[in-house]
Amino acid sequence: MSSSRDDFGIAIRSALLKKGARQKFSLVFLLILAIIIFLLDTYQFKAINFTKFLINDGIYRLTNISTAPFKLLPKLNDKIKETAFAMKENKDLKAELENLKNKEFQVEFLKNQNDSLRKILESDVKIKGKSIIAKVLLDKDSPFLKSIVINRGSKSGINKGMPVVDGNYLVGKIVEVNYLSSRVLLLNDLNSRIPISFGEDSVQAILSGKGESKPVLEYLPELYEPYGNLTVFTSGKDGIFLPGIPVGKTEMDELDVKVNLFSDPNQLSFVTVQLINISKDNF
Amino acid sequence: MAILYKNLKYSIINSFPLIILYYLSISEIDTHFSNMFEILSFNLQIIIIYYWMLKNSTVLGNGHIFFAGIINDVVMGLPLGISSISYLTVSFVASYIRQVTVNMSLFTDWFTFILAIFFSNLVYLVLILNFSDLQLSYVDISYNAFFTFLFYPFIWVIFNFYKKIMFLGADD
Repeated sequence: MSSSRDDFGIAIRSALLKKGARQKFSLVFLLILAIIIFLLDTYQFKAINFTKFLINDGIYRLTNISTAPFKLLPKLNDKIKETAFAMKENKDLKAELENLKNKEFQVEFLKNQNDSLRKILESDVKIKGKSIIAKVLLDKDSPFLKSIVINRGSKSGINKGMPVVDGNYLVGKIVEVNYLSSRVLLLNDLNSRIPISFGEDSVQAILSGKGESKPVLEYLPELYEPYGNLTVFTSGKDGIFLPGIPVGKTEMDELDVKVNLFSDPNQLSFVTVQLINISKDNF
Repeated sequence: MAILYKNLKYSIINSFPLIILYYLSISEIDTHFSNMFEILSFNLQIIIIYYWMLKNSTVLGNGHIFFAGIINDVVMGLPLGISSISYLTVSFVASYIRQVTVNMSLFTDWFTFILAIFFSNLVYLVLILNFSDLQLSYVDISYNAFFTFLFYPFIWVIFNFYKKIMFLGADD
């Protein structure tokens, strides 16, 4: 019994008083110190109050700093979510933008196509409204005269100066009218002079035949820098041809601007004569 | 250079429990999960102190436990020194258990931990009730003590694993 009490006492004493290489203070010393601090604080001693304020300020700031990463976690989480959302939104918007760009290109393409079709349609209406189909009777090639003879004449209401088209494309004009036949002067003939317009700025010029397969553009505006692949239409300035009949595409040949005709003059078998009223003064 | 790096590495690894103790005291982070589960709260500081004072007292040291208690009081707004007394009580129980126990296992540690929790909370309550105007919920303290006791084995397993990677010298 006595031995057991001794063991208990030794264990208690050891636990309370033991110090070591790293244990600078014994447990009992620290306990007493803690109790003193507690009592001083509880009974509001001025010295301990002042010290406490200093400790509080220091520790509060330290606490604020140490908990900052954890306080940032929810914000970080929100930021990550926002970023993820923004990235997704950005991706969607990019896709939408791409789609809109494609649509814009499509609209531009359709607009251009619509413009072209409208011009063709206009010419179609004219052809369908007031036109007559004629068969090419003679297309004998001559070095000085590029013309064809058709099987329609004044009987069919054909007059001099009437435009002749192959499908929708201008091929020439009537220069000689008989009762049952007519002569068509082709665009590439040396005598052919047709007022045309082309390009976005509707540049005005005269399409002059040179006896070759491709007529050239003359009387272009000063300082105009011509370039190829522009659609040439009749301008209607002469009062003979209706405006907007497609003729061909521009093609650069050194300094000359030639026009590659839509309709090959050497391959005509049927043509359409536009029956329009042309005053003799104009012609 | 290599020796310096090695010593630094050992020092950081060995100081990890102390860093956790200080960090838990200094930060607003606590182990009260009332927003997740109303009654769930436990005192991790007590578990850390008890385990390491039982296994190897050189890891923490009574001086650090004392300061950790002072810091905890400042942060929690408790009368200065009360947590220190409470923590030192745990340290005292652990030291005593270590003195009187030969073979230590999880179960002996766990059940002797009841004594540490009991005396720690007893000292805490006695001081609060007799020396301050603070109002305490006995139910909350009971739940806290219960869950601290309940979670001890889990923390024990983690610390036991961690102890294997530490480079501990002879205990004082």
